[in-house]
Order: sequence, then C-alpha cells, then structure tokens
Amino acid sequence: MEGADLILNVDQPGKVLFAKTALDGHWRGPAVVVHVLRDAGFEVIYLGMATADEIAAAAVQEDVDLVGLNVGGSLAVVMRILDKLDVSAPDVGVMLGGTIQPQHRSALEVRGISTFPPGSMFSDIVEQARRLVEVRRGSKGDVTPA
Amino acid sequence: MSSEQADADRYFTASGIPLRGWYGPEDVPSPAREAGAGSPGVPPYVRGAYPGMYRTKPWRVFQLSGHGNPEDERERILFLLSQGETGFIMEHDRNTADHLYNVDHPEVVARREDVGQTGAVIQSVRDYETILDGIDMGHYYAHPGGAVVQHAPFALGCYWTVASRRGLDLSRLSGTGQSDFFLTYLGCIPKRQIPTEAGIRLNTDIIEFCGRYLPRWVPVSIAAYNAADTGLNAYQELAALFANAAVYLDEINRRTPESLTRLAYMVGGINLRVGMDFFEDICKMRAARKMWVELLRRRYGVADARAARLRIHIVTAGSALAYQQPLNNIARGTIMAMASVLGGTQSLGVATYDEAMSIPSEHAHQMSLRIQQIIHHETNIPAVADPLGGSHYVEALTAELETRAWEMFEEIESRGGFAAVLDEGWLHDLAAGNQLDLAEAVNRGDRKMVGVNAFVEDVTPWEMTGFEPVEGVWGKSMERLRLVRRERDGRAAATALRDLETACRGDANIMPAVMEAVAAQATLGEFGDVFSEVFGDWKVPISF
Repeated sequence: MEGADLILNVDQPGKVLFAKTALDGHWRGPAVVVHVLRDAGFEVIYLGMATADEIAAAAVQEDVDLVGLNVGGSLAVVMRILDKLDVSAPDVGVMLGGTIQPQHRSALEVRGISTFPPGSMFSDIVEQARRLVEVRRGSKGDVTPA
Repeated sequence: MSSEQADADRYFTASGIPLRGWYGPEDVPSPAREAGAGSPGVPPYVRGAYPGMYRTKPWRVFQLSGHGNPEDERERILFLLSQGETGFIMEHDRNTADHLYNVDHPEVVARREDVGQTGAVIQSVRDYETILDGIDMGHYYAHPGGAVVQHAPFALGCYWTVASRRGLDLSRLSGTGQSDFFLTYLGCIPKRQIPTEAGIRLNTDIIEFCGRYLPRWVPVSIAAYNAADTGLNAYQELAALFANAAVYLDEINRRTPESLTRLAYMVGGINLRVGMDFFEDICKMRAARKMWVELLRRRYGVADARAARLRIHIVTAGSALAYQQPLNNIARGTIMAMASVLGGTQSLGVATYDEAMSIPSEHAHQMSLRIQQIIHHETNIPAVADPLGGSHYVEALTAELETRAWEMFEEIESRGGFAAVLDEGWLHDLAAGNQLDLAEAVNRGDRKMVGVNAFVEDVTPWEMTGFEPVEGVWGKSMERLRLVRRERDGRAAATALRDLETACRGDANIMPAVMEAVAAQATLGEFGDVFSEVFGDWKVPISF
C-alpha cells in the first residue's frame, strides 16, 4: 500500500524551501542537511537567513511541499514564521532543526512540527521529509491512493 | 614486532594521518627529535612558550559569556569572576554586532525576540560603561568583543574610551581583540560585511594603533578555532592560521618595515581549537609554536626570540559536544581541557555542557570553570612543562602535522594567498567536505559518538533545559538607542562620522577617527553604514 502511494513520486520526491530563522550566519548544519535532502532526491531551494514574510512568500511562489527551518534563537521568532505559513501556505509541511531547547520541542510538537536537534540521524530527517511531502500531495490530490 | 608490523589495522587521526600501533625512535625525524629534546621558553618553543610554564604563569581562565541587556552581561561577568575566572570576555548579540545593525534595522525588527539571546546588545559607548561598571579594567585581562572584523574597531574603541575616561593609562591596559576572518568570512557569514581587502586594512590599522598606544594589547587574535569548528582539520587549521598571519605581517612590512619585529610579537597571540583527538591536538599546539618561529625567520628574517614566542588561547570544540545526554559533555570538556593544558596553552575557555542547546546557563558556565580548576589544583599536571615531550609518538605526530601544514600553506600561497582562498570559497569547500565526511561517518556508525549513535539509553533523572535568556531585550535596546540619539550632541556625532568616512576613504590609520566617533556616541549601526558606504559588500563565495 505504502509503496503504491509513492510510485507517482519516484522522480519527484518533493520540493523543499530551506531557511535560517535567526540573523546568525552559521552554515555548517544547513549545508549538511541540504546535501542530505538533495542526495535523497529532493529539490532544495536555499533561502539563507530570512524573515517570516520572506519565508512565507517564497513558499507560495516556489510552490514547495515542505519548509525546512534551521533555528537558533527564541521560540517566538519560530512561532511567527509558523503563523505566517499557516495563513499563506497552510498545506505545506514544516520541519525544524538546529539548537532547539528541549523544553521548546513540546510546544512545537503540539503544532505538529517535528524537531531535529544536533545529532539527528539523516535517515530520520529524510523519512520525515518524505512523509510530509506525501501528506501534502495527498491533500492536494496529486497522489491517488492505491 | 616492529612498529610497521603493528600497522596491520588502519587507524587514523581526526585529520586522517595514518597511525602506527606504537612508535619508536626511528619514527621521529631527527630535527623533531632535537626540538623535542630542547627546553621550554626558548625557540623553537615546541616545548612551551615560557621557561617556567604554569609554575610562573598559570593559564588564564577565560570563558565566553554574555547575553541580554548590558546589566545582564555585567551580572554574568561578575558571577564568573567571583567563581574564579581570571579574565573576562564580552559577547555581543549576533543579530546586531555581526552585521553592524542597530536594533531598529528592519532585519532586526523582523526577529526582535532573538535580540540579546546570543550576547548583549551594545550599540554605543554608554552600553560599555554600563557593563563595565564596578569591574576593575586595570586589573583584569579582557576581550571586550570585536570577534567580527568589521565590528572590532567599534568594540575596541568603546572599551579603550571607557578605560581612558576612568583615567587608566592605555599603555598599561591589557587584553585582546579578535577581528577574526574565520568567524564571519568562513563559518558565520553575516547579511552585510565589508570585503576581505578592507578587513585586512582595518586589522592592520588596529595592529599599528596598538603598537603605538597599547603595547600590552593583543590587537587581533587570529581565531583558527573558528576555521576548525567550521570543518578544517588540524593541519589545515595551522596552515590557514599562518596564511592569515602572513597577510598582516606582509602588510606591516609594506607600511613600516622598521616596526615588523615589534608588531610581529603582537600578532603572535592566537587562538586554536582543541577537539576530541587528544594527541593530535596536543601536537598541533606544539607544531604551531614551531611554525611561528619558522614563518618569522624564513619569510621575514625575524629571529627575535620575543617576537617568535607564540601565545595560544584555546577554546575547546563546541562542535564536539552532543545535544543528547548533555552531562557527557562535562567528560568531553575535561578531556579537551587536559589536552589544552598538556599542549601548553596560555589561556583556556571550555565550551559549556549545554553548548548544543543554548548559550551557557550559569551552572554550565560554573562547570567549565570547575573543570579548569580541578585540572589546575588537583591533578599535578601543571607542575611540569610539556610532560609529553620526547614521546616518540608525540614528536612524530608534531613533525607530521607541521609538514602537512606547510604543504597546505604553500598551496594557499600558490592560489593567490589568504584573501583569495576566502574570496573564491576554496576554504569553504574544504570545510564543507570535511563536515560532510564527519556527519556521514557518524550516520554510518563508523564514528561512534556516545549518546548520539551509540549507548543512547539515558537514565538522567531530570530534563536539561539549557538557558532561557531574559525577555524584552529588544524594547529596552530601542529605548537606549532613542536616548543616545536624543541626548548626544548631534552635530558632534555627525562631524565625527564624516571624519570617520574621510579616514576610511584615505590611507591613514582609521583608529583615531574611530575613537573620536565612539566618544561622540556614534552608534553601532552608524559605523556599519559608513563602512558599507565606503568599502561596499563582500561577495559571498558559497551557494547552496
């Protein structure tokens, strides 16, 4: 069943917008994750340090399936981005990675956002990205369930 | 069994140097054997920078710290000093300091809740006065910020201005700048930044200015730590460090050759990273001291023993610490701190155990101090200089690192030198390749990280939270910014900024104009606007 779901998307695993939420230019983590996603077949647009408005606008304009955020600051800034995306691109999945304080993870999970702190395994990141793409395409009717 | 026979299983250092099963005298090249049999405190300094090492000069306990409002930064510094820190560091807010933005810049406003989370918000000399209130600047060695090249003139100018206002004699003031290229041109690239050529000019201006007025100051502490934590391996870190140093020395030599020996001494206060490859990083420190002697002698004909004495500050590797089971990081910090001491550091900051989740909590900061104090007072390690000197393994690895580092140094030269390998992204590619190799090795399980990909069960009875920074920092920073603008002599500030612009456009040293602008209460963002206007923007050489 699951295999059949994915058949349509073998050549197009998904389009990802990747951005940094903080005005902090460290790129070591994002570079690795972007590489891993591309290696898994995703098309990745790297936006770099971007504001909530910029991220939401790019998500719509590029018609991405998924937004990946590298975070490293306050939860409020992340929540503002999530709020914007809820309005502008409500069907787009979101994943978070970076220096996330453990007590903030539950607040994000309540909103259905999976978090990937340092040391997360590539396979878990790719699996979640595939799942979110699948959910979005399912909701848009791109995938006909077998 | 010979040492070669013991090589059947392949073992490597973190930088990929093959390791034998054991080492004998035949593995040590003869020059290295001689250097390893020498005394500490004399060239080539392989065995230590000072004759008495820690008996006469304990290493400086020197932790990165800072967050929130100036008052919060001050409070944490006072806490650390009360707990045995022996110098202090002022960390600045990344959102503002890296990019030279005031808090009313649209980029900052859009993320206002982040402000103060990574360092204190410092926008004028007034903020420095608040932080330094009650701190004895004449007594403590300080790093008042300015890790970022384009930020350093402002940061140093503010600190020196406060010192002058207190009646302190600048010629007796001690501390260190940083102005590090590896931070913002390699590892942490800001939204706006002056080109490398302008950065080299600013840094050389700072070196000259210190040579003239602040002889006890380390004007620019090349932080190869940042190169290594971005991904460069041990010998690449050494090569990049000395390629960078050579740029300053070349520029000094061009401007005022007669001051080269004196200023070379000032450039020889540097910063390296110690990670988890215990012996490789000890050997790296030993090799670094020898390479500095060689660089000065070979390239500049400087044989002065004082100039050739490299002084090292070590920061233990933040990237070696884990998010999972964070208390394990206390063990990692201890191992890295021991390596730093065995390698003969002059100064040490131990990355805190909550590094992977937040800026340091008070408790994590205290633990980093305690690690250093336990090594200092309980282990007897500091009693003897270079205790590993003469070990066949240590001498062989020191020599191998030096050989490989010189090879890469030559390669950087052949590629057009330090600025070129930054401008063209060559160092970035090297770092990115290493980062990926390491991350893939951890993912495959080839490289074990305890608590991350091995031994992952955790019975810690409480959840670690990291540090929750104070809230409302942006609003208070806006208020302070408004006050400065309202209360300063607007005409004097405008004139000082115009003079700064003229100085930047000319050839003379900009630091006198920087000091004037700081004294006239020009703000951080105004410095940024002048630099940006005159020097333009660096073209970032990496793309994703």
